[in-house]
This record gives sequence, C-alpha cells and structure tokens, in this order.
Amino acid sequence: MDIGYMVEIFPKLIATLPITLSIIITSAILGLLLSIGVTALRIKKIKFLSPILEAYISFMRSVPILLLLFIVYYGLPVFFSLLNLDINDLSGIVAAMITLIIFNGAYLSEILRPAYLAIDKGQHEAANSLGYTPFAKFRKIVVPQMAPIALPGLGNAVIYLIHDTSLVFTIGVVDILGKANLILASSYGENKVEVYLTIALIYWGLCLLSDRLVKFFENHTYISKIQKRRMFGSKFGKGNIQSHSD
Amino acid sequence: MLSVRDLHVSFNQNEILKGIDLTVNKGDVVTLIGPSGTGKTTLLRCMNCLEKPSKGEITLSDLHFNYETISKKDILQLRRRTAMVFQQFNLFKNKTVLENVMEAQMVVQGKKKKDAYEKSIEELEKVGLLDKLQSYPSELSGGQQQRVSIARALAVEPEVILFDEPTSALDPELVGEVLKVIEDVARSGVTIVLVTHEMSFAKRISTKVVFMDKGVIVEEGTPKYIFEESENARTKAFLNHFNSNQTVEA
Repeated sequence: MDIGYMVEIFPKLIATLPITLSIIITSAILGLLLSIGVTALRIKKIKFLSPILEAYISFMRSVPILLLLFIVYYGLPVFFSLLNLDINDLSGIVAAMITLIIFNGAYLSEILRPAYLAIDKGQHEAANSLGYTPFAKFRKIVVPQMAPIALPGLGNAVIYLIHDTSLVFTIGVVDILGKANLILASSYGENKVEVYLTIALIYWGLCLLSDRLVKFFENHTYISKIQKRRMFGSKFGKGNIQSHSD
Repeated sequence: MLSVRDLHVSFNQNEILKGIDLTVNKGDVVTLIGPSGTGKTTLLRCMNCLEKPSKGEITLSDLHFNYETISKKDILQLRRRTAMVFQQFNLFKNKTVLENVMEAQMVVQGKKKKDAYEKSIEELEKVGLLDKLQSYPSELSGGQQQRVSIARALAVEPEVILFDEPTSALDPELVGEVLKVIEDVARSGVTIVLVTHEMSFAKRISTKVVFMDKGVIVEEGTPKYIFEESENARTKAFLNHFNSNQTVEA
C-alpha cells in the first residue's frame, strides 16, 4: 500500500468537501424543519391529511435512497414540464438536497413523534393552567423535554445522512466519490484501495465531528444536568443562585 | 368573585356535570366533597378551562365568559388569573425548584428576573424549601414536590388557587406537611377552591363546604352545617360511609 499516494491525493479529495458539506448541512436543517411540520400535523390528527402523511412516511422509509435520488433527479424535470415549467438544467446538487430533505422530513418525524408523545400530559396541563402561550410552552417545556429522548436518534440520522451523500456521484455530482472516480479514471484504475481508504478516513472524520456536536447538545439536556448533580453531589450547579439575582 | 352558572360537561354522551351553579367570594375557602366520579375534579378543571364544558358561563371578577363562545385569548386571560395545584404535582421536570417557581412569572407575566427571583424566594420560604432551590423535581419527595407546586401557584399571585386532591397521591406520612402548608395559605386570605377527601381538614379550614353527588350539587353550607346539622339523606349517607371507612382503616 502506498501511503505517500494517499497523502498526495488527500488535498484533491478534500477540496470537494464543501459540496458534500453543503448538501449535509442544507438537508439536515431543512429536513429537520420539514419533519417538525410533519410531526406537528401528525399529532394534530387532521382528518384528511393524516392518511396522506402516513403514506408519505411509509413511502420514504420503504424506497432505497439511491432510487429516490434517481426519481427526483430524472422525475422532477418531467413533472415540471407537465406544468409547462422548464427545469431541465436541474443541478445534481439541488436534486440531492431535495431528495435528502424529503427523505429526512419523513424519517426524522419517526424520531420526533414518539419523543413528543413521551411527554407526560400533566406537563402540558401545568403550563396551560399557568397561562403559557402554545409557543412559550413549546420553547420552555416541550423542546427541553423532547431533547434527551430525541437526540440519540437524531444523532444516528445525521450519520445516515452523511453516508447517503456518498450516493450523489451517481447523478454526476463531483463530490468526494465523484472526484475519486475522476482520479481513478486518469490513473487507469491504479491504487484503488488507497483512494477508497482515504475517502473512508474522511467520512470517519465527518462522523466524529457530528458525534461531537450531538454530544455537546446531549450534555446540555436537563437529564444530563441531573446526572451530573448525582455524580458530583449537590455542589454541582449550586453557587449560581447569585446569577439569578443579577 | 368567581362564579359558574348552569355548567354542563359531557364526555362521549356521558353527562358528568348536570347544571352546576357555584359562587366563590373573595377570601373564601370552598371545599368540594362527594363520592368518587361525581365530577368534583371536572368542575375544578372547568374553572381553569382544562376541561371544556358544553354549556355554561363563568365569571371571574371583571371577566365574564360563555363557555360556548370562549376564545383562546379569553382562556389565556382566565388561566393567567387563576392557578392550579394538581394531584400529581406536575412540576416541570426539566426545571429546578427555583426555575419552576420563577418561570411563569417571567414567561407569562413578563416580570424581570430579579423580581421573579425575589418573589420565588419569598414563596419558597413559606413552604419551607429554601434548601432545595437547585434540586430537580425527580430528586424530591412527593410532599416536597407538592409544596413547590403550591409555591409556584402562589408566585403568580392568582385571584384564586384551585387545589385538585393535593394529598391523594402522597404517602400517608407526607400528607401532614402539605396540609399544613395549604392551611397556612388559607389563613393568609388567599381565595381557594379545594377538592379533597380529607374530611377533618375540610371541616377545619373551609368557609364553605359543597357536597356533590352524580354531577349535581346536593347542598352547600358552612362546615358545621354540612358535617353536623344536615338532614339531607345523601349527605348523611356519604359522611357516615366515610366515617365508618376511616374507623375500619384506623
């Protein structure tokens, strides 16, 4: 194995990282927003909407993400041409983002819904009885109590999302794997193992980063604060009584 | 000050309250007693709009609403001037004792942090929990949690506090500490509506006792009248049953 070659191609591969990152970040944020909307509508149990949402979720969970990507990339221009709109120059990156957003809108909702339903009815009633607005209750009570339940699942979802971006080279996007294919083509398929191993290390690094980020949030949930108090005694968290009066 | 008129509540065609009229005056301690499943808790929850009556009216000082036309904004107004103490305490699990008492003052009433803090300390002192400010509800006993929830209710300075069987979920040895706090609150002149099965307690602190059975108010009066002088057959049967039960348990 040629370690020197790995070091040599590393900058070339990493140069494409902004594309991968932009797909990950856009899809994660918009996918999460979509899933919050989907979850809210599912919880409200609107008569005509519910079966549609369940069908959407079932479809998204059943179809392999690669297939979904092809459907969006080749299907959207056809769909829009029926509406007399021309989007034949739909870029692969945008198609990838749309695919991952609609997929995560469904997939994350399967994580958020049980987390929401796990909140005790009494917690809602207490906030209601004190006259909290729905938004204040959501921000101060619902989200903080959902967080420790949902975060492990959301963390896994981010890892899957990172993995899924490796498929976008199939529709011609020059991401890391797309770049790798170009490198391999120009070297007539030599050093395949070195190239793929380098990419594996890059993906590993991305996942470690996302783990760190999720751990950071997990360390700030109320459950984690209670556990720390238990471990380090009631001294932990004390002394900030003053800070409440400033 | 607080009154409901012709209150009807149904769950799935099952009529729970069948036309309730009740008036609570300022400074009153009104106790609702009666057999289980009679609608005492439902009546209390209607006063806070946690239950939606099918028909009826409510008046709280200058607020007057018909339940059939009440809007979300009206409900918010009503809730902001009342407070509820629940059987299961329902302290916010994600907040410390201090935060539980402080938060509604800031989030709902828009008070400054400093003012909310001072008010919270004052109320937590009354219920004897100054040493637990930074504890989370899961770290407290049931009795302590209920005392915090009373402090949380007091801190928003409601016109009336609604107590829904506040000692029913407690271990017997913790009932006393909570009853003592409620008694202090009652003596301080706060208007109270209380649902309870603690008969001797009801007799001691109430200004008015309301006996309910099968979704209607059977009769109401002073504790002395209800517990000693009433000639009503249903009232007497209920109280006798209760007394004999207590003797058996003892």
